[in-house]
Amino acid sequence: MKLSSATLVGLVALIFFVVLPFIVSDWVAADFGIYFAYALFAVSLCFVWGHAGLLSLGHAVYFGIGAYAMSLVTLGMVPGLPELHSTWVGLAAAIVLSTVAAAVVGWFFFANRGLKGAFLGIVTVALAVIVERLAINSSYLGGMNGLMSVPPITLGLNGDGPEIYDPLPIYYIGLTLLAVAIAAMMRVSASRFGVSLAALRENELRLWTLGHDVAKLKIAAFALSGGLAGLAGAFFVVQFGFAAPSLIGFSLSADVLIWVALGGRNALIAAALGAVAVRFLESRLSNLMGATWPLVLGMVFMASVIFFPKGIFGELIDRLDRWRDRANG
Amino acid sequence: MERLAIVLLDSSNAVLVLMLVSLGLAIIFGLMNVINMAHGEFLMLGCYALLALTEAGLPFFLALALAPFIVAGIGLVAEELLIRRTYARLLDTILATWGLSLFLRQGMVLLYGPGSHAVAVPDVGSVDLFGTPYPVYRLIVMAISIVTIIATFYVFFRTRFGLAARAVIANRTMASCLGIDTRRLDRITFAFGSGLAGLAGAAMAPLISIDPNAGLGWMVPAFLSILVGGLGTISGPLAGAAGVGAVDSLTAAFTSPVWAQLVVFTAAILVIRLFPNGLVSRAKREA
Repeated sequence: MKLSSATLVGLVALIFFVVLPFIVSDWVAADFGIYFAYALFAVSLCFVWGHAGLLSLGHAVYFGIGAYAMSLVTLGMVPGLPELHSTWVGLAAAIVLSTVAAAVVGWFFFANRGLKGAFLGIVTVALAVIVERLAINSSYLGGMNGLMSVPPITLGLNGDGPEIYDPLPIYYIGLTLLAVAIAAMMRVSASRFGVSLAALRENELRLWTLGHDVAKLKIAAFALSGGLAGLAGAFFVVQFGFAAPSLIGFSLSADVLIWVALGGRNALIAAALGAVAVRFLESRLSNLMGATWPLVLGMVFMASVIFFPKGIFGELIDRLDRWRDRANG
Repeated sequence: MERLAIVLLDSSNAVLVLMLVSLGLAIIFGLMNVINMAHGEFLMLGCYALLALTEAGLPFFLALALAPFIVAGIGLVAEELLIRRTYARLLDTILATWGLSLFLRQGMVLLYGPGSHAVAVPDVGSVDLFGTPYPVYRLIVMAISIVTIIATFYVFFRTRFGLAARAVIANRTMASCLGIDTRRLDRITFAFGSGLAGLAGAAMAPLISIDPNAGLGWMVPAFLSILVGGLGTISGPLAGAAGVGAVDSLTAAFTSPVWAQLVVFTAAILVIRLFPNGLVSRAKREA
């Protein structure tokens, strides 16, 4: 069986990240747990934007819902259930709530004559600003400060049992989550549903004329992506320890867009690598470069839009593809 | 009664400035098919241009007259280096200008620091309106906005340039087939649109706190305005800005700015969802 170039790059990246903790020190590895959560988030946006062609400029909403849901459950703040602290229930709540939120938003935006392209982008930005405002002004959600001292992952059924906060286990949990999510989403992309989504991206009118329920496809893609973003948010918050309104609004939505576009929106693995690379460089270089880092990031981003519209890792995968084609004659 | 008059005046002020910002955005979008996410940053640049010029010792009103041209110049450079390379890829213009917005914001952080600056309101006194004193400067801002909007309409509907520009909005390919230099038009359009944002920023500079993120708060309302009003016309965005600005400032005056933003964004999303062609173009079609 011939592997696709994206799979090949994914496997190389997986081997690299599996051995990485043996090469670098523990505290470097500790940062990667957070990067993997961001990468998972990037994968969710890449699926809905790169694969289905729906540009969501406010995707942090679903990441934030996941983060807040996990925090509320593990902090025992669920109304009427003060004894509930379970990580597992938190995880389920994060995924279910973000999926439902994305489905409702998707239904509102896409049902009947839905919003398209740039319109969708602008409206999703506005939605992100609204949700961020609501979070800031909600005393239940801790307002501006957010929810603090969110407990780490606990293996017991209700917040008891061993806690996982050592960097190495977190690192491998994150890597596993990411690898499984990418593999699963690649399977989804190759399924009948996924092929319909790709057709939707290429020519919506034609797909509709062929009798497909376009709105239903879009809503399903949006909900699936939202759920994945919620999972990313939940995994983020159990490491980071607090959920703040900045996780749910405009700025993180802008960040994830840059990671995905810079990495490459045509391949899930490229988007994930984009997120990890940008976050890694950011933490390394912002000490060194200080305030010039965002300036450089902005310039690199503009240059990549002009010269590598497929993204940096996307371009790499593309070149590899062409090279392999030639090599095989 | 007096309070109502003040509220209405302040509200007109907000509406007129939002109209200026939305007009620039709509012209760039309509003519060039570029979604300019950095439009708010051009407004922010207008504030800083005014700040720099007044700090250099220029009289306030001279600085106010020069600032939009500086911003238009920056817009021209951005068009030449970045925007023109993303034409015909609508969604890539979002990404490119998003990068530009990050770049401009951080550029100002490096030049002026992340903190906020203030420009003194020029000492033009206040007049009695409806029995209460009202600052003259705010009236001047309104006058500038109205004159600029009228001038823009004059250019678009009464000059040869405007005719060419409207032809490009209606059908770009056909216009270029008829010998209209679309490349030159694009350049002028982008500079003009950024200049309008720069003017709005410079005029508002004494009334707001100037910081690198000053433009962010304008971007979403301006986009919502042009979508609410409808694309493809010049009057649509003005109507949209009137709606968005009025609802925003009136709700802010009677409840709180936080609620105002929630109400206006939610209302705008509903309108855009229910009338995807905008309120103005819809009215036209039914007539």
